[in-house]
Amino acid sequence: MPSQKKVALVIGSGSVKCAAALGLKQALDRAGIPINMLVGCSGGSLYAALMALNVPTEEIAAMSARLWTRALTARANRRALWQALFPKLAKFDSSFSLRDDKAINRQLQAVYGGKRFEDASIPLYITATDFMTGELVTLSRGDLLPAIRASLAIPLIFPAVQHEGRTLVDGYLSDPLPVSVAIREGADIIIAIGFQADTQSHLSSLMRYTFQFTSVVSNNLLKSNYAFTSLAHHSEVLLMVPEFEQRVRLFDTDKIPYVIQVGEREMGKQLPYLQQLLSN
Amino acid sequence: MEMKLEMDGTVAIVIASGSIDALTAPELANFINLQIQDGHTRLVADLAGVDYTSSAGLRVLLGAVKETRSKGGDLRLANIQPDVKKVLDLSGFTSILKHFPDRAAAIASYNG
Repeated sequence: MPSQKKVALVIGSGSVKCAAALGLKQALDRAGIPINMLVGCSGGSLYAALMALNVPTEEIAAMSARLWTRALTARANRRALWQALFPKLAKFDSSFSLRDDKAINRQLQAVYGGKRFEDASIPLYITATDFMTGELVTLSRGDLLPAIRASLAIPLIFPAVQHEGRTLVDGYLSDPLPVSVAIREGADIIIAIGFQADTQSHLSSLMRYTFQFTSVVSNNLLKSNYAFTSLAHHSEVLLMVPEFEQRVRLFDTDKIPYVIQVGEREMGKQLPYLQQLLSN
Repeated sequence: MEMKLEMDGTVAIVIASGSIDALTAPELANFINLQIQDGHTRLVADLAGVDYTSSAGLRVLLGAVKETRSKGGDLRLANIQPDVKKVLDLSGFTSILKHFPDRAAAIASYNG
């Protein structure tokens, strides 16, 4: 008899590292453990959405490798310099970004265009942050494209997204591993895979400086939010923060097969306990 | 999970081994509560044999820390294994709990 416990998979922010969730899902599939709810934040939203749409794991890996390339940030936003130097004249506003977002919009459109939350066979929640209030925003209805684009809107790098009357930016800014959403939506056992953002070895450019700043904030936020949710939840939060022996950088999509292996290994460690929990 | 108690002066040492998770946490919580009820509020948890802790384990540790501290004592940790240390670090527990590389140092900390 299948377990009555509702299992949620929460995939935190972490760009290419989020592909580890595919390995985790493979391990769960082999063990015959269904996922009843998916929550994705930032890079995790790319994978959570495709899993919820029942796309096979191999296909998700291939799609994400095609989608997530250096081309996404290759083109500078020329208006940004003028906006920074002459904010009134060049009309500085919440759409400010150092990189042009045409490439990311095009790539996301190719994968998620026309798809809706309602198409998902597993309930799906994608998180973003209201840039004006700092509030965690959970998106679960309507078009997937604006939700995923908002969840990925790294401040300063990509422009914020105007969606349903709000200015939305990357979900990691309010919670890099939104376990709270799974708790609120009634999950019992929560499998949470999160990633510590890499710190920069040197701060030799504005981009590196920006990434360092956001990594420090994000890593501390990951800890403090996990501290709260692990104590607040009535049941179990199985936390996985994989350690990668190889360095996996922002666009290292060639390492996706390795990242998937790491995810599978991490899930394998906790699988016997998860099976016990489900049969209890 | 296995648990036993040793005394070193006024310090009670809870020696645990196995996993602290949702299936074993109630047992550990009961064991610690019994020690506190017996008047042992200066506790050391020797975690040399503990290879895993989940969120349920964290809740037990936090409950014990709050209970002992409210009675003028403390729960201090010794011999934390790497996988357990990782969870304690990620959850911020190492910033609110005193922890030591070995049992002797944890016991000695009560005499400092």
